[in-house]
Amino acid sequence: MGLVARFLEENGLSTILLTMTPEFNREIGIPRIAAIEYPYGRVVGEVNDAAGQRRVLLEALSILGAAQKPGEVVHLSYTWHEDPKTTKWHPPEPSPIIKMYLAEIKRAGSEARK
Amino acid sequence: MSLSTKTVNGFYFMPPSLSAWIGQTIPDHEFDGEIPWTPLKKPVSETVFSLMTSAGINMIADPDFDMQREKEEPTWGDPSYRRISRSATEADIHVNHLHVNTDYIKQDMNVTLPLQRFKELEADGVVGALAPTSYSYYGYQTDPTVLLEETMPRVVADMQKEGVEAVFLTPA
Repeated sequence: MGLVARFLEENGLSTILLTMTPEFNREIGIPRIAAIEYPYGRVVGEVNDAAGQRRVLLEALSILGAAQKPGEVVHLSYTWHEDPKTTKWHPPEPSPIIKMYLAEIKRAGSEARK
Repeated sequence: MSLSTKTVNGFYFMPPSLSAWIGQTIPDHEFDGEIPWTPLKKPVSETVFSLMTSAGINMIADPDFDMQREKEEPTWGDPSYRRISRSATEADIHVNHLHVNTDYIKQDMNVTLPLQRFKELEADGVVGALAPTSYSYYGYQTDPTVLLEETMPRVVADMQKEGVEAVFLTPA
């Protein structure tokens, strides 16, 4: 989504990217990032938590209003209410690309554990 | 503004093997190239917003994003986009995404496309306005050429017609 943010900024639109994966800023260079440690598929907040969603949006909007130069990443303080192991963000079955590269993914995992 | 010293870990929810695999492609140093920049022209409270998510959402009257071709051709992701009316509710949309659990979005679309929340922020004067149209595309793009060269110019033209000045972006 960083590439899309860049395209919009090149075309005269200001952007704020609320993202769970700020690391991609190192790869792409993203104009404005509000980073949040929330699960994939629920970057704004939990289902039916209007107050929590609003807080996150207000904070991201304040980052948009305050940003003075491109490439800054502001990390929000919120902590998700579930443990990663019990957070069901995954699709019902592994995506086609994951199935295709399963052996390679397992190998990367065992290399990282060494 | 948050005063936290927290550093968000983008791999926090991901199984370690998958983190290790994806992490291989991310450099360990900061980006040092040019970053495009359009300064906000007026305060947030006077700015016209549109929302855009990569969650694969469409209005029921429009075609669904193409999941079948991706199942047959795993490195392809649908590069098109859909317009989402600001009045859309969960009953008006389909969500298709093979990389995340879409159940939450179907229960409360504000978890990734916060239309209702933005209409409240508009009513409260926090933002200038929410434009009539918001947008979705499909975030899985191994080759973003079509997305960036064909799809996004049309999105920008649509946004310009509605006087959009800033875009709130939410990945799935």
